[in-house]
Amino acid sequence: MLTPIELIKKKRAQAINRIIGKGYLSTKRVYVGMATCEIAAGSKDVWEVFDNAVKNGLTDVYLSQKGCAGRCNLEPTVEVIEEGKVPVKYGKITPEKAKEIIEKHIKNGEVIEKWVIK
Amino acid sequence: MSVKGKRNEKFIITLCDGTTCMNKKSKDIEIRLKEEIKSRGLEDKVQFNISGCLGMCEKGPILIVNPGFTMYGRVGLNDLQEIIESHLCKGNPVARLVIDEDHLYNRFFRVFGDVAFFGNQMRIALRNCGIIDPENIDDYLALRGYEALAKILTEISPNDVVEKIKKSGLRGRGGAGFPTGLKWELTRKAEGKEKYVICNADEGDPGAFMDRSAIEGDPHTVLEGMIIGGYAIGASKGLVYIRAEYPLAIKRLKKAIEDSRREGFLGQNILGSNFSFDIEIKLGAGAFVCGEETALIHSIEGSRGMPRPRPPFPSVSGLFASPTLINNVETWANIPVIILDTPEWFSSIGTERSKGTKVFALAGKVVNTGLVEVPMGTTLREIIYDIGGGIPDGKKFKAVQTGGPSGGCLPEKFLDTKIDYESLAKAGSIMGSGGMIVIDEDSCMVNIAKFFLEFTQNESCGKCTPCREGTKRMLEILERITVGKGQEGDIEKLERLGKMIKKASLCGLGQSAPNPVLSTIANFREEYEGHIRDKKCKAGECKELLTYSINDKCVGCTACKRVCPVNAITGSPKERHVIDETKCIKCGQCFDVCKFKAIDKK
Repeated sequence: MLTPIELIKKKRAQAINRIIGKGYLSTKRVYVGMATCEIAAGSKDVWEVFDNAVKNGLTDVYLSQKGCAGRCNLEPTVEVIEEGKVPVKYGKITPEKAKEIIEKHIKNGEVIEKWVIK
Repeated sequence: MSVKGKRNEKFIITLCDGTTCMNKKSKDIEIRLKEEIKSRGLEDKVQFNISGCLGMCEKGPILIVNPGFTMYGRVGLNDLQEIIESHLCKGNPVARLVIDEDHLYNRFFRVFGDVAFFGNQMRIALRNCGIIDPENIDDYLALRGYEALAKILTEISPNDVVEKIKKSGLRGRGGAGFPTGLKWELTRKAEGKEKYVICNADEGDPGAFMDRSAIEGDPHTVLEGMIIGGYAIGASKGLVYIRAEYPLAIKRLKKAIEDSRREGFLGQNILGSNFSFDIEIKLGAGAFVCGEETALIHSIEGSRGMPRPRPPFPSVSGLFASPTLINNVETWANIPVIILDTPEWFSSIGTERSKGTKVFALAGKVVNTGLVEVPMGTTLREIIYDIGGGIPDGKKFKAVQTGGPSGGCLPEKFLDTKIDYESLAKAGSIMGSGGMIVIDEDSCMVNIAKFFLEFTQNESCGKCTPCREGTKRMLEILERITVGKGQEGDIEKLERLGKMIKKASLCGLGQSAPNPVLSTIANFREEYEGHIRDKKCKAGECKELLTYSINDKCVGCTACKRVCPVNAITGSPKERHVIDETKCIKCGQCFDVCKFKAIDKK
């Protein structure tokens, strides 16, 4: 029988496989803040924009929600993470800005500097 | 304008500036590095950041190059040239200096470290908040989730788990700072057929949201901590006491418990071991006093949420008179890290008597409001200015309020106070659960004290007289001071009452309720005196103490006269107007409407 340590390692490997199966290795990973504070600032609508884009054929993107990172007055926040590049953190994102992020950053690799949290 | 691709060529260098790294000459490295970058004309290509302690002191000074998160350790002045030439110019990291660290903490840093607000923090309890999907157990598992649990079940006896927690130096994060390991030991040694583990998530301080964010961002770490606690003390049942007004936190906690059960981390024979443990959620109605452990226990038992005298402490006789281990959300979130990253490592962070980090909810008059987790020993100034970005609109700092309604207000002279349980108490405040409100010159300290006392007075359960009656009397005095009816001797009365309430109250609520008043009297006595003797509020917040008058900048435009709801302003067009103080209700509309700065508000 497996020891708990052996068992957890197996479970971890399975978990990682499941995450990869969901597209974690896509070129870009997008995280939308979805804690109470983020939702109050309007992140549900932002999430909808990304979620609809993925459902309607936006490929090579791994979309996930996340908890609160702690930057209250810049919420809702969205991160676009790409291997080998500095993770881009956007603040005060609206559905309109989300659409622009999809068009410019996700599809064309163009970081929209004016919304980046410094 | 952003140029396509430009950002990708930029390197971000982060240099650790924790105390240990500083002793190891990180300052010299900073100076040399900046010189080298400048002399080679790399300023556009390299951004330079300073971070707070990264917790790898043994291998310091630490230097991180992003993108790629290349971590260099034991960096010396002689290594800089090679790092610049090979890594920054040619893109080849210097292999001999790279250190490979797989700690639980500061994973957050990989995503957020280049932003000063986050880079100066050290995330242990909140290590996963903001970087994982809290509703997906796979995300937690991928970051070594439940490995600490598996480790103790495989190779560490319950007694040794307690020893590890003791060794770590962890103290209760709910506010009082009782040594966690000692609490565990007492509960473990207490006799009882059944024992209970409770997570106190009854966060009630105005403006505090640490526990909510922790649960919403990473619920599994709290559960894992609790299961480890259950194993250590020999309990089979755990409860999370959380207020019903946190619906999202409750939803995520429920999902986490279900997922955890399905994966075999909760329930019978956890991970194939002999240990069985389960957790359920108890909803609180949101009474502040239920954050007090004995009141919380009464509330779970179905009684009215009221405290009782201690001893016996819950560790001996708690829920249903059984030995009960109660810790706060943040305390539980630290447990898996202590097990996996070792107690020795944990105790290397912080000050002599306060170890690890503390989470604060930074709010009020500060540029960057938000959640902040910093090593103990960080100064208030570092939190407010380096992380918080200082006071907005060029206003002056006046005080910082820590510990919520149980804490105190500290003026500028205490800004260099190091955050730990003892230093804050010595300065006249408390650590508390982590509320931190910055106050600028526009706020009246008497009014602030009144606000907090109003809160505790409302929340007083009424069981003991000092708290029930005493806070009411104190509030009455404060109310009359703020409306200009204060009397000589009121300050002394407040002090006497405050000291009495602190000494004679039954529970922590009453024992700490006078703190905001006593600390503002101690540090801002002249403001109280101004209200009482001169009937003046320096900050201009106490409406009844203001007088409005019209100065000679008045051009007689009649705007104020037209807006005044009680016809207190007289004067002919193009002549200076006059306010009749006896009629004025101090609504301030004339002040707002005047375009010539002709109305004085004093």
